[in-house]
Amino acid sequence: MLRKGEAPGHQTPPHLHKDDGDDDDDAPSGFVKLISAEGFEFVVDKKAAMVSNTLRNMLTSPGGFSETREGEVRFPEISTPILEKICQYFYWSLHYSSGKETSEFQIEPEITLELMMAANYLDT
Amino acid sequence: MSGGGPPKKRNFKIELFKHRVELDPKYAERTWKVLEHAIHEIYNHNASGLSFEELYRSAYNMVLHKYGEKLYDGLERTMTWRLKEISKSIEAAQGGLFLEELNAKWMDHNKALQMIRDILMYMDRTYVPQSRRTPVHELGLNLWRDHIIHSPMIHSRLLDTLLDLIHRERMGEMINRGLMRSITKMLMDLGAAVYQDDFEKPFLDVTASFYSGESQEFIECCDCGNYLKKSERRLNEEMERVSHYLDAGTEAKITSVVEKEMIANHMHRLVHMENSGLVNMLVDDKYDDLARMYNLFRRVFDGLSTIRDVMTSYLRETGKQLVTDPERLKDPVEFVQRLLNEKDKHDKIINVAFGNDKTFQNALNSSFEYFINLNNRSPEFISLYVDDKLRKGLKGATEEDVEVILDKVMMLFRYLQEKDVFEKYYKQHLAKRLLSGKTVSDDAERSMIVKLKTECGYQFTSKLEGMFTDMKTSQDTMIDFYAKKSEELGDGPTLDVHILTTGSWPTQPCPPCNLPTEILAICDKFRTYYLGTHSGRRLTWQTNMGTADIKATFGKGQKHELNVSTYQMCVLMLFNSTDGLTYKDIEQDTAIPALDLKRCLQSLACVKGKNVLRKEPMSKDISEDDTFYFNDKFTSKLVKVKIGTVVAQKESEPEKQETRQRVEEDRKPQIEAAIVRIMKSRRVLDHNSIVAEVTKQLQARFMPNPVVIKKRIESLIEREFLERDKADRKLYRYLA
Repeated sequence: MLRKGEAPGHQTPPHLHKDDGDDDDDAPSGFVKLISAEGFEFVVDKKAAMVSNTLRNMLTSPGGFSETREGEVRFPEISTPILEKICQYFYWSLHYSSGKETSEFQIEPEITLELMMAANYLDT
Repeated sequence: MSGGGPPKKRNFKIELFKHRVELDPKYAERTWKVLEHAIHEIYNHNASGLSFEELYRSAYNMVLHKYGEKLYDGLERTMTWRLKEISKSIEAAQGGLFLEELNAKWMDHNKALQMIRDILMYMDRTYVPQSRRTPVHELGLNLWRDHIIHSPMIHSRLLDTLLDLIHRERMGEMINRGLMRSITKMLMDLGAAVYQDDFEKPFLDVTASFYSGESQEFIECCDCGNYLKKSERRLNEEMERVSHYLDAGTEAKITSVVEKEMIANHMHRLVHMENSGLVNMLVDDKYDDLARMYNLFRRVFDGLSTIRDVMTSYLRETGKQLVTDPERLKDPVEFVQRLLNEKDKHDKIINVAFGNDKTFQNALNSSFEYFINLNNRSPEFISLYVDDKLRKGLKGATEEDVEVILDKVMMLFRYLQEKDVFEKYYKQHLAKRLLSGKTVSDDAERSMIVKLKTECGYQFTSKLEGMFTDMKTSQDTMIDFYAKKSEELGDGPTLDVHILTTGSWPTQPCPPCNLPTEILAICDKFRTYYLGTHSGRRLTWQTNMGTADIKATFGKGQKHELNVSTYQMCVLMLFNSTDGLTYKDIEQDTAIPALDLKRCLQSLACVKGKNVLRKEPMSKDISEDDTFYFNDKFTSKLVKVKIGTVVAQKESEPEKQETRQRVEEDRKPQIEAAIVRIMKSRRVLDHNSIVAEVTKQLQARFMPNPVVIKKRIESLIEREFLERDKADRKLYRYLA
């Protein structure tokens, strides 16, 4: 769920691997690599990625699409800052839905629209 | 996407996604080609080269750019085309491979459908609900149904194949149940209506005609037990079949078909089957067969009542034969024992085979109630049975055994309508037992009284209990008598008197016989003693009920102690002074009533081994011209010889009449009391209601006869307890 933050509060995603090129990107069972339009790679837990219904279908579809096989998904239409925000949101959502008390998810006004479009695309 | 966006007051203009694709006219056509190609590849098992993201994005963009309809129609067209191809390959499958091919293609289609649905998810989510079209998955199933299952080449072939396989399995062949399961599941997946219309209905029809034929065949050549076994097996097979490869909802339908064809249609013929029907099973205690019949029949309408009706009429018939068979009436103990055995037998059947069904228990009870009361001697016989058990039958039995037997007797007692007749007899028999000291166990006697009391109330047993009290008081009186008077009595005979309260005991006024002088003396002493301590009482001697122990010396000097009745003692004492006496002499000297005298002479002279008297001429019966002699040659191994009276254990016809008459007499006041009780509370009542109420009040004890009730009412009117209403002659009024 996306929410516009009212009170400014600092947010640290609990587990986020920003791509440095040397991370454990070869774990298709536990992790999945999301690649932005500019080529930045984000490695996230599958569990987190499945917050998005589109990604969930992509990763569980029986037919063996290339994404399932290679464990990476390219998003030629999503820019790096948006994808990063989305990844943060995945972890925030996991935390939130586990029932724990969580502070608001903060969204900067200037990226709101783009983020909404991406959310629609990812069915999140 | 879920959740809210920015606050509503800020008016954002929603623009298209920023990677706007050039809206050239060929855009839609080009994108669709990509997707169409992908769909074909998916059906060709070639999906690994496709990018989900790309396809998803293509479909997403098509929908976003209002080409949803084109996408949807294209999908429908492409899938239809693929399914027509598939249909051809299924049609081409030969014989047994048909089902496997169908199943394999179904699996493929399912998988492809899921993948297609996944990449077209965005269309499913937005375009489909907006334009009210069928979601992709459902569309895929519908197309499969229309182009495969309902294709003329496949439709009837599929049904025939399925029915044929089931038929073969019924005939004992092994079939591929897994494949059957997949196919029926496919039909279910296509919708319950498809399963029902295209498979279940014809299946049920075929099943009905199959079992209709088979049951006809079985019933011609099998006995009832075997038929039931086969039906049971068939029923289980069908249920097993459902659990293996049909939809669970079919079970109730298929079992009802089998039940109807195998059981309901042949129910009556089965129950009445000659030499093996229900009655034979009951007779032979075939618990397994009976249980099977019960379990099968209870599945169908009217099944159990059919069993119950036949069982009831069988019970009534055999019971009626039992209680009216003149042979049986000769031995009351045996008679009651048979009733009890019959009851035990059927109790066991109901318990073991009919699951203790209450309605069957009731049927059993009502049957017993019906036939036991067909014989008006039942109350007497039941009392005699108890008498027999309490005299000797229970010797050595444990307390529990006694309880069991008494409980069974009480059960029969409950069936009796004329409980007062039973009471009458029970009183007589109890009196005899108490006075002759023949009771095996005092506890058992009391236990029986307690049971009667719980069953019928205090009133019923108060007199019986009075008898026990009398016995106890008599004992104390005798101890006191001997303690005070022993010096006066000297060596004379010992006397043991039972003082019986008139009314509590079933005594008939009976003129005392002439007692021997020795006895008379001590009797007088006792009379003086008793009347001395209790003033205002009257003592009469009941010589017909006593017993005596006398010592006798026979020809060769051997001595015996004879245990005889008071009458017999009187007779024997006469022979102290003379050797031979005629019947007339004896009758005159003793003044014993003729009937009793004959009985007592018979037991003294005609019973082998106990013939202390000799009779001339020798014969079985006593006639008034006989002469009796003291039998010098009497021998016996025993020192104590017990000479029983030839007691008619059960009553003779005139005695029976007499008892019956006394019962009728006793009923009169009870009926009157009931009428008065009712009228006192109702004040005014019509005739029929009185009869009904009286019957209701008294039926715990006996069934009052309406004619007798009418007489009692008349008698009460005469005595001015009631009057007839002046206007309506059918109404009675209570006169306070």
